[in-house]
Amino acid sequence: MSDAYTDGAAADNSTIERFLNDHTLKRVGAAIAGAFTLAVGVLLYFIIDFANPDLFVRIIPRFLEAFVLVLGIVAGGSILSIPLGIFVGLGRVSKTRFTNAISTGYVEFFRGTPLLFQLIVIYYGIPALWIQNFGDFPISNWAIPAAIIGLMLNHGAYVGEAIRGGIGAVPEGQMEAARSLGMSYVQAMREVILPQAWRNALAAIGNDQVILVKDTSLLTVIAVPELISEFRQVNSATFDPWTPIILVAILYLCITIPLGKFVRYLEARSDWGGGDRR
Amino acid sequence: MSDHSLLEFDNIDKYYGDTHVLKEVSLEVDEQDVCVVIGPSGSGKSTLLRCANRLEEIQAGEIRLDGTALTHPDADINVLRQRIGMVFQSFNLFPHKTAIENVTLAPQKVKGIDDEIAYEEGMSILEDVGMGDHADAYPNQLSGGQQQRIAIARALAMDPRVMLFDEVTSALDPELVGEVLEVMRALAEEGMTMMVVTHEMGFARGVGDKIVLMADGKVVETGEPKAFFENPQTDRAKQFLSRML
Repeated sequence: MSDAYTDGAAADNSTIERFLNDHTLKRVGAAIAGAFTLAVGVLLYFIIDFANPDLFVRIIPRFLEAFVLVLGIVAGGSILSIPLGIFVGLGRVSKTRFTNAISTGYVEFFRGTPLLFQLIVIYYGIPALWIQNFGDFPISNWAIPAAIIGLMLNHGAYVGEAIRGGIGAVPEGQMEAARSLGMSYVQAMREVILPQAWRNALAAIGNDQVILVKDTSLLTVIAVPELISEFRQVNSATFDPWTPIILVAILYLCITIPLGKFVRYLEARSDWGGGDRR
Repeated sequence: MSDHSLLEFDNIDKYYGDTHVLKEVSLEVDEQDVCVVIGPSGSGKSTLLRCANRLEEIQAGEIRLDGTALTHPDADINVLRQRIGMVFQSFNLFPHKTAIENVTLAPQKVKGIDDEIAYEEGMSILEDVGMGDHADAYPNQLSGGQQQRIAIARALAMDPRVMLFDEVTSALDPELVGEVLEVMRALAEEGMTMMVVTHEMGFARGVGDKIVLMADGKVVETGEPKAFFENPQTDRAKQFLSRML
């Protein structure tokens, strides 16, 4: 019995066990990482060799314009999807059957169909219905509002599920303690449960918001002049895919990496005295 | 003196599904008295306590606070709960709030008391329970005994008529039990009406004005501490005491 804890290789002499000891695993890991680095290095060399610096500089302004638009759409979608998600999460834990059923149906629909489909419904479907029933569609540049609404509705469902999980992870005793002090259900939710649920859900919500940023690439299908649309235009005019690809990659990472850092900052800020949180 | 006790349980019945957990329990807690409820685990004593501020609903009978039926369907439970302080076995402090914020939250939000006044009153209560120096600490920076003292302060901050203690020392390390019992003893001496579910027989005997033994969902024996511990009347009480002592 005591041997089992001293050396894994000694305990089991099968070939795979002898190969997969700590020492060789470490070396295999380093070898794979090295091979990967080499491959990326070679690829980067080819790409940089391929890319056209003059074109790169020339297309920067239009890509920056697209970048600013993406930032605006992300901000709109994010800011709207989070409160929506909080309401959806509250609906999902509601004991009122109607509220619960509606929020569940909402989540099922928006998580169960592709975002691309939802964007098409909003962008093409809604104006068609409007025109048939009320005459001219009043919004001339519908693509950007449609994009923000689509992202909000889609990610509201994911944020809602994160909040629901976050509420579920708050111990029952928290609600009991709050109610025993005379707080109403709403007060207890707002002051006691949601702040803790928010903290529990933060990592999942952060992940989702990063996905929201990347989901803006789908907006090319509803004619939003975002980064992928710009790429397609430059590529078809110059037959040079790599120069705009580099720019697209840099600009997406300019949003997603700081966003990830911001989420970690928020997590660290609600540390509540550190250590084990219960 | 009024003709009724401060807290009255009048023939209450409670079921979990088909399980009959409280059977026609009647009990009175007089003003300024400390009523200690003891009994083997599963006897229904914690459930009885939780019914008193409607964390559990009863199926028959009535519970009255100062003559008002708090189990009545029309009773404003949020108002009644303000008059009933409750302390839990697992503390249930709000982990995202500091000690003083735990204490002032309900006075501010429920009673609408001004922030500054709530803070001063909260600090004075924290000092009463010996936690004045830790007002700005978060719960998970404190020991179990310290957390439980803050939980007591949090309940006291609502200025309740009666305090319910639900096995408040059962989750504590043995060396931390004393500090919590000491706070409760001081509270009893100040004249707070208390209903205490506990396994601490020393506390029951030393601080209790009335001992209630529960078993199988029923009140088996009620008596003054001295009489109960020295001369129990029922076989069930004798049996329980012989196991505890």
